[in-house]
Amino acid sequence: MASLTVRKNVESLTPPELQALREALLRMQSIWDNRGYNHFGSLHGIPNWYCNHHDRSIRTRQNLRLFLPWHRAYLLYFEKALRDQAGPDPKIGLPWWDWTSPTSHTIGVPTAFAEPAIDGRFNPLLQAAIYAPAANPPIWRWTRRFPGDPRWLPSGALVDSLLNLSQFRDFSIQLEDVHDYVHGWAGGNNGSVGGDMGNLGTAAWDPLFWSHHCTIDRIWYMWQLRQGVNNISPELLPVVLQPFSLTVEDVLNINALGYEYAISKVAIR
Amino acid sequence: MSQNRPNEPQPPARVQHSMYAQGKIFQSTTPLPISTVPEQFVRADLEFIDVDHAGPSFEARVFVNNPGANISTPPMESYGFAGCFNVFGHGGCFGDAGHCEIHGRHEDNFDPRPSHPLIPMKKVVIATSAIRKALNERADIHVTVVPIIKSWTEKSDVNDILRFDHINLITYR
Repeated sequence: MASLTVRKNVESLTPPELQALREALLRMQSIWDNRGYNHFGSLHGIPNWYCNHHDRSIRTRQNLRLFLPWHRAYLLYFEKALRDQAGPDPKIGLPWWDWTSPTSHTIGVPTAFAEPAIDGRFNPLLQAAIYAPAANPPIWRWTRRFPGDPRWLPSGALVDSLLNLSQFRDFSIQLEDVHDYVHGWAGGNNGSVGGDMGNLGTAAWDPLFWSHHCTIDRIWYMWQLRQGVNNISPELLPVVLQPFSLTVEDVLNINALGYEYAISKVAIR
Repeated sequence: MSQNRPNEPQPPARVQHSMYAQGKIFQSTTPLPISTVPEQFVRADLEFIDVDHAGPSFEARVFVNNPGANISTPPMESYGFAGCFNVFGHGGCFGDAGHCEIHGRHEDNFDPRPSHPLIPMKKVVIATSAIRKALNERADIHVTVVPIIKSWTEKSDVNDILRFDHINLITYR
């Protein structure tokens, strides 16, 4: 029986774990069909626009908050595709970027994502190629990133305050706003053009996107532990998270999806 | 694909940090009489209704009773800073003509498609301290919103990026 995938803090990955992640990602970035990195990048914004942010309505005029459930499904499908490229011992999981950590507030983007090359080889966590021929104009270039001052990243105290919000809708709106801030911070600009993380259409091509959203997912998980796994509006439960074959109800329990964020588990008898 | 990568990646140019520009500032035209705010509340929110998110990404710093606030004003309570909201913008239209025109599919109960991605959104700033300060000072409430542009594309219009319909002040007991 398969064990749960453990998603770790990128700062705590061992060199072999980081190497395995890079090799799988590199293989994924060299595949151009629907198993590849470019395919997953194209689902979020350009040209497919499946992502859900803020309030969206489906069929009725009621507002549905699908930001957190949709991105949980998105990360899961991406992680499965990544593990498919991880060789015979696919124990890698998506790492999360703790932008509240003292290290992040000192250096900003984690070193693993910022190094141009590793032992003279391309670092697939730094950049990825965007191939979007259906865009107007067509896009065929490398991702770019111009992060802001590390001291301006969100604080742990801010995240703690979010965990005390008891209503899902309230929590989701506030967490999404922090998410929006980090996107703008990480994308930034060089004075003439912005970075991809700061633009919804191309954000998911930046390899940092996945670890940023892993953190958002982890914060939702921590909130669920405190405020209830099933603490969500009942009308959301049957909504299908297109294009994935999962409903909102399917993604509430991360262990049922096969992953966890725990870094240790010790039995006490 | 005949080639699996575009031309060689350029190492990212090391700008020290991103530089941010200020967008067009919003000033509320009619102050909200403080007499309409309940004396007792545990939380006060400023809700920004129908915020546009089609263009650049930006931070919107919200100040209460500081009409001179701008990008240089410290985001501190003593300067009337109430909080901020952030917009993760679409970056402009990369579709064909008409792609980003919002149409009324959400009004058709027989249309199974999700609503248009660019339907304007609601942002909520928890502004309890700033509203309580105004209440304590018996000062009518005037809102200033300073947009700070973070990121954009060649398809983004960076002029007049802060667009919304109205602001609600909501208090909770």
